[in-house]
Amino acid sequence: MTQSFEQPTVQVQAPLLQLNGITKVLKGQGEPRTILSGVDFTVHPGQSVAILGRSGSGKSTLLSLIGLFDRADEGQYYLHGNDITKLPERRAAALRSAEFGFVFQRFFLLKHLTAAQNVAMALVNGQGWSSPRKRKQQVMEALEQVGIAHLSKSKPTRLSGGEQQRVAIARALVRKPRIILADEPTGALDTETGNLVVEVLLNTTRQGCGLVLVTHDHDHARKMGRVMELRDGRFN
Amino acid sequence: MLSGKFRSALVIGGQGIRARKLRTFLSMVSLFLGVLAVVAVQAGSEIAERAMLTDVELQSGKDGTVRGYVPGEKGAPAIVESTLKGRSDAVAMISSNAIIGEPGVRPINEGGMPFEYAGQGRGYYGPNMICDSNGTCHEQKQPEKKPDGQAIEVNMVALTGDIRPFKPFRPVSGSWLEFASAPSLAPRIVLNEEAAKGLRQYRVPGEMTIEGATHHVTPQIIGVVQDGDMQPRVYMRLDELRTWMPSATETTNPNQFRGGGTSLELFLQPGTDDLQQLLKAKLVGAGVPQDQMQFQTVKSKERMESELRIMRLIFLGMAFLVLLIGVAGILNVGLATVGERVEEFALRRAVGMSRMLLAGIVLAETLLTGLLTAALAIGAGAAGLQVALMMFGSRFPSLVGTAFPWEAGVAGVIAGLVAGVLGGLIPAIRAAKIPIATVMRA
Repeated sequence: MTQSFEQPTVQVQAPLLQLNGITKVLKGQGEPRTILSGVDFTVHPGQSVAILGRSGSGKSTLLSLIGLFDRADEGQYYLHGNDITKLPERRAAALRSAEFGFVFQRFFLLKHLTAAQNVAMALVNGQGWSSPRKRKQQVMEALEQVGIAHLSKSKPTRLSGGEQQRVAIARALVRKPRIILADEPTGALDTETGNLVVEVLLNTTRQGCGLVLVTHDHDHARKMGRVMELRDGRFN
Repeated sequence: MLSGKFRSALVIGGQGIRARKLRTFLSMVSLFLGVLAVVAVQAGSEIAERAMLTDVELQSGKDGTVRGYVPGEKGAPAIVESTLKGRSDAVAMISSNAIIGEPGVRPINEGGMPFEYAGQGRGYYGPNMICDSNGTCHEQKQPEKKPDGQAIEVNMVALTGDIRPFKPFRPVSGSWLEFASAPSLAPRIVLNEEAAKGLRQYRVPGEMTIEGATHHVTPQIIGVVQDGDMQPRVYMRLDELRTWMPSATETTNPNQFRGGGTSLELFLQPGTDDLQQLLKAKLVGAGVPQDQMQFQTVKSKERMESELRIMRLIFLGMAFLVLLIGVAGILNVGLATVGERVEEFALRRAVGMSRMLLAGIVLAETLLTGLLTAALAIGAGAAGLQVALMMFGSRFPSLVGTAFPWEAGVAGVIAGLVAGVLGGLIPAIRAAKIPIATVMRA
């Protein structure tokens, strides 16, 4: 099932990313299992895409391939029109830093760091260096963007689930990425907080950022510009 | 300027250490003993070498000094004295025997033996032997026995200049000879500790009978030094001695030199080859046989280093084993920490950190831990040395004023770094291999 809800204000441009015929086979101890089979996928600037599907349908695997966490066994991956299918690890790390922002279901905040330090983590990753002052400014802007600048000095243990997820979103936004990849970001949140988080994510698309949201929640999916459903490693 | 990667590694490594203080502390505890062992062995061997060298220098002269032996005959003392006059780069020592105390009596330590053996006759040195030109030796006929009296026999050393740049005598009390002023008629003498012990132990009149002198002398004792010699010895200026000698200290009797009479020893600074040649030429010209003149460079350090090397290697080997236990501690804690921090490392890679840098962070943490431990071990070593010197320094005079050797500090830092690398390498490789996708999906 593919629904199209393209927002009229967004002009369709050259794709941010394009996947052609992507196949991923899981080679474990048992028989190899095909997770994705010949998947085509495209995201344009400012476009938001929801990926729905049952557990084990390959949603998170697809997100891993898009985010360069893993490599496809077959198919082509183009980013800004450049073939990055066989990108070496070092370049992949640089692209993850420059192009992508990641939001996960479990937030993955470091407990010993404050909210600001958790956000700054994306800036202290060996991909260039900015002064502590500039870093602080960028961090505060990102926290401001998600509405929790006042909690910058709080440690994760003192934040609610929604606040923690917003810190995680700020971490994803602080490098001003072109694409946000969100893997069930509302899975651990109540409906109201989940809606708030989805709104925050959608806001980023208004600044030209692409958004890929993996979710089980149809209500959240409907808010996206495009909804795609994965079933048995293929888009319906 | 430090690169972004290096700065990132240091910042994140520092955060990691602060976040896991107890673990860092436990790593440091296991490593501390190992680094301390390396520091202690290095410091101990350096101090032992210096102490041994200092003792050797007292007797043989400082390393690099050219030491010469010239027979004290055929006008040699006068030639040497006139050649060295006004020079600070060479000093001559003319040794003879003297008796302090009652004249014409048998001294308590006849032959100038240490007072520990006083009263045991000449047996300490054995009988005086006289050898002819064919190499046939026979015991010298004992001189007529004198009555026992209150006198001590010392080896008297007359100096042409300050000997301390060559032999670093340690002051014990009073002052050392000064050579700038006019010579005194009452010769100023400095005693070594053994001579001072004799004067303390036996009440002897302040009169000195010098072998070959025309009159008895009343000396002024101005100080005591430690010269590393067991034999009682007094030091004085040669020009002050001259006043009391008939015509220099030379003798026409060659046997007197062998039997404990005048002997001539030279100390020259390195690079005084011209002076050495001049002295040799003058002495040969005066009839001193060239083959009886010996000049050799003091190489005590080289000789001692080869003696100490094996001992040092054995102890360093043992210290290295202790260090390995510390490394195992760091490795253990490091592996456990990597297991706990899987999510953190995966997240860091997800936000753009390369595998290499991630490994660098883990290594930076263990290296910082190693360096911190090294600093503590070096501090403990230095403090321990000061405490040991305070407690036992009086028993070992050569150790007084010993500073913590910088070589031990360097060894400690190297040990800390090596332990950091060895202990952090495997955890670093494991951290770099963490699969992001698997962890972030879990």
